[in-house]
Amino acid sequence: MPPALSTARPMLSTARAKRGTGDWRLETRLKWLGGWVHMTGVFAYAVRRIFTTIPLLVAATFVVFVLVSISGDPLARLATCTTCSDAAYDRLIDLYELDKPIPLRYVGWITDAATGDLGTSTSLGEKPVAGIVAERLWNTALLAVPSFLLIAFLAVVLGVFSAIKQYSIGDYLVTGASFVGIAMPTFFFGLLLQAFWGVWWQDWTGWKPFYVTGKHVASFGDYLASATLPIITLTIVLLATESRFQRAAMLEVIGSDYIRTARAKGLSERRVIFKHALRNALIPLVTLWALDFAGLLGGSVITETIFAWPGLGQLLVSALPNLDLDLVMGLVMVAALLTISFNLLADLLYGVLDPRIRYD
Amino acid sequence: MTDTRHVSAIDDSIETEARSFGRQVWDRFRRHKLAVLAAVVLVVLTVSFWVAPALSPYEFDEITPDFRQPPTAAHPFGTDDIGRDLLVRTFMGGRFSIRIALLVALSTTLIGTLLGAVAGYFGGWIDALVSQIINMVLLVPALAILLVLALKWGSSPWSISIVLAALLWTRIARVVRGLFLQYKEQEFVMAARSAGARSGRIMFRHILPNVMGPVVVETTLLVGTAIILESTLSFLGLGVQFPTPTLGNLVAEAKGAIDSNPYRVLLPGSFVMLITLSINFLGDGLRDALDPSSGGGRT
Repeated sequence: MPPALSTARPMLSTARAKRGTGDWRLETRLKWLGGWVHMTGVFAYAVRRIFTTIPLLVAATFVVFVLVSISGDPLARLATCTTCSDAAYDRLIDLYELDKPIPLRYVGWITDAATGDLGTSTSLGEKPVAGIVAERLWNTALLAVPSFLLIAFLAVVLGVFSAIKQYSIGDYLVTGASFVGIAMPTFFFGLLLQAFWGVWWQDWTGWKPFYVTGKHVASFGDYLASATLPIITLTIVLLATESRFQRAAMLEVIGSDYIRTARAKGLSERRVIFKHALRNALIPLVTLWALDFAGLLGGSVITETIFAWPGLGQLLVSALPNLDLDLVMGLVMVAALLTISFNLLADLLYGVLDPRIRYD
Repeated sequence: MTDTRHVSAIDDSIETEARSFGRQVWDRFRRHKLAVLAAVVLVVLTVSFWVAPALSPYEFDEITPDFRQPPTAAHPFGTDDIGRDLLVRTFMGGRFSIRIALLVALSTTLIGTLLGAVAGYFGGWIDALVSQIINMVLLVPALAILLVLALKWGSSPWSISIVLAALLWTRIARVVRGLFLQYKEQEFVMAARSAGARSGRIMFRHILPNVMGPVVVETTLLVGTAIILESTLSFLGLGVQFPTPTLGNLVAEAKGAIDSNPYRVLLPGSFVMLITLSINFLGDGLRDALDPSSGGGRT
């Protein structure tokens, strides 16, 4: 049996004989083992990363907790309330442990948070924060997910186009537009969109295709009509940055030796660009995608405020002046966790896409 | 005879080649036409922000009887709800916005460069500490912190600058730290050390001049970031307070009147955009001029 195999693959066996044991079955097993060791390497890396991030998360939430706690007195809200009884005071003191020093309050909050209990919101009628946040996260995702898909797709298309047609009129247009997009404050763009579709377009044509405020999800058509404008607003600014980044990455790859090799081999330009260049130019973009998606899911304060979309960002703006401490902390915690997870995901994906990267 | 002519020709060419660093930077910058244009636009805008209010017959907080006017000859930008002239308010707003942005950019550069330099140069626990603080700042959503800080401390131009600087220093610190890590291993640093120079001297006299290029670029771009962030905060009502105008709170005040007088939103908003756009072009040009190997945005 073994001799038959070796005659069946003479070339391979001689090649192996030169460098190794010559026993292909052993080698296959070793290779498997190597792969497994590599996998555990990634796993160990992920676990290590998670454990090193925990102290960071604790420190960051502590700083925010202290800042929010000293930014105002939650009891002051009751001072203007003539019908409130002493019981209301006691309730608030009890909820926020206002009779304890701030560090102790933090310890109480973080131990609860570690078990998944994010506390109670006072401004939205004593509801658990976790429930509110989950509901708002869904609303934010209704904007964030389509917007992210649009950004990722368009950034690649525009970036690649700009790079392969470098210094053409099209490239100048895309580059110019992205500079304008980067310089455009979100609130300005959002307001203009709202005024254009909410007022001016209707004045000219008598037709109002979009809702300019609020979330309407009675039907898919309603969802499209109410979500389109905020999605466009979210998309523009990030798209501008990402397409510039994709263009630079693509140009760098196109200038490299292996692309010249691919062309010298006589591959079609299409194959060179899409198979050899684009795949490599996408790698640095992965980190950007992860960060942007985490940011989008964490809620966008400006866009949600302008379009009155009941997401996480809008919640933050309303929770802060009301000194709804647990709610603010819950939102910060969710955003931080999103950033951590997507960052980690990006780092792991990086290793998958670029095998030269080792986790040790 | 012919020989000397040759020599003098070579001399000439050598002389033209030997330009000072500043001259080289200027020559490279000049070729970046958009950056030059951007610099001109910025100078013109800044000068007009200081000159125009002085020439105007109105004060920025002066209340006139004609309220909610569209643009007219007397009030080219119109007036707001209580009859203040918007031309002078917009230019004063530009003045406050620029002043805040410069303050933010300078203080951020100072903090960021100092922390980045110390972390990169000394390494060890200092580096670990600074790096962890940077990671921490990146972990929490920037706007959330900004809102908390602004709610409590940020109602005057000074305090808003400090609040913004407290948040923005991480980027420049990372850049400077990376460069210090790279430069401290080089021969000229070793030479300085063996000549007996102390750490402070090595850091600020030997290494710092080498990293000034990227620092200048980062500072320039920071002005743009600060303008946008300040106007965003003001838009949310958490920035500089009434009656001091900034470009952001002018837009915020006008958003309810956008259908009756869209210029009230368009004019200050366009100023923000124009300033930021110019600053980004300027930063791009400076990057190419100060560090020709970077390629910058022109690649």
